[in-house]
Amino acid sequence: MELNSENKSQAKVEIIEFGPLKITGNFLLKDLKRDKEESLGEVLLCRCGRSANKPFCDDSHKK
Amino acid sequence: MDRAENQFSGGRKYRNDDITVYWKPAACVHASYCYRELIEVFDPSRRPWVDMSGSTTDKIIEVVNLCPTEALAWKWNDDKKNATIGTDQVNHIKFRRPELMNIIEPVKEEHPVSVKIMVDGPIVLKGSFTLSYDGNTKEVNDNLISICRCGISDHMPFCDGQHRKIGFNG
Repeated sequence: MELNSENKSQAKVEIIEFGPLKITGNFLLKDLKRDKEESLGEVLLCRCGRSANKPFCDDSHKK
Repeated sequence: MDRAENQFSGGRKYRNDDITVYWKPAACVHASYCYRELIEVFDPSRRPWVDMSGSTTDKIIEVVNLCPTEALAWKWNDDKKNATIGTDQVNHIKFRRPELMNIIEPVKEEHPVSVKIMVDGPIVLKGSFTLSYDGNTKEVNDNLISICRCGISDHMPFCDGQHRKIGFNG
């Protein structure tokens, strides 16, 4: 266990300032509201609450 | 350290005849399973917010077991039951809800990070990943964070539960 304690990271999660949440790598997206499950390599998720394409970013935060 | 034992120290307690529910507000990430499943017992707008008379013991146990963090935990009031049937009952309930297993089960090596879009709530990320914000990078190992999706948290980028107050629909 100790030997494997480093570098366990499966994905990169980046909070983009005044922008969306960017996730890349090995992750599974489950949308409980729309009952969808997807395995995507990269995703941009809305953080401002205004996207018309939730849960994804549609650049509404720039308006 | 035994995670289960740690859950019972500190915080507040709510009892009925059968069980005691333990509440540790600092551990809550507002995943919101509790009030969505059982508002009669877990109502954040009420004080006290937990009303043990609002449902049956079985239902309260089931919903406390849905909590993905250490914020909610429960024990039988009769310690003999904790030693014998307590754990079995917890496992039994979890197996009945397979769709919730991956947020409750510890994430093992090589498992993908679980990214859950909660109903009208935050993004709950669970697993091992590299988190970067404000120019800082930190490693999150087998842990859970929730990110605000409604845009009005006072604790950005993290959820502080305010989506409920504004009736966030997303």
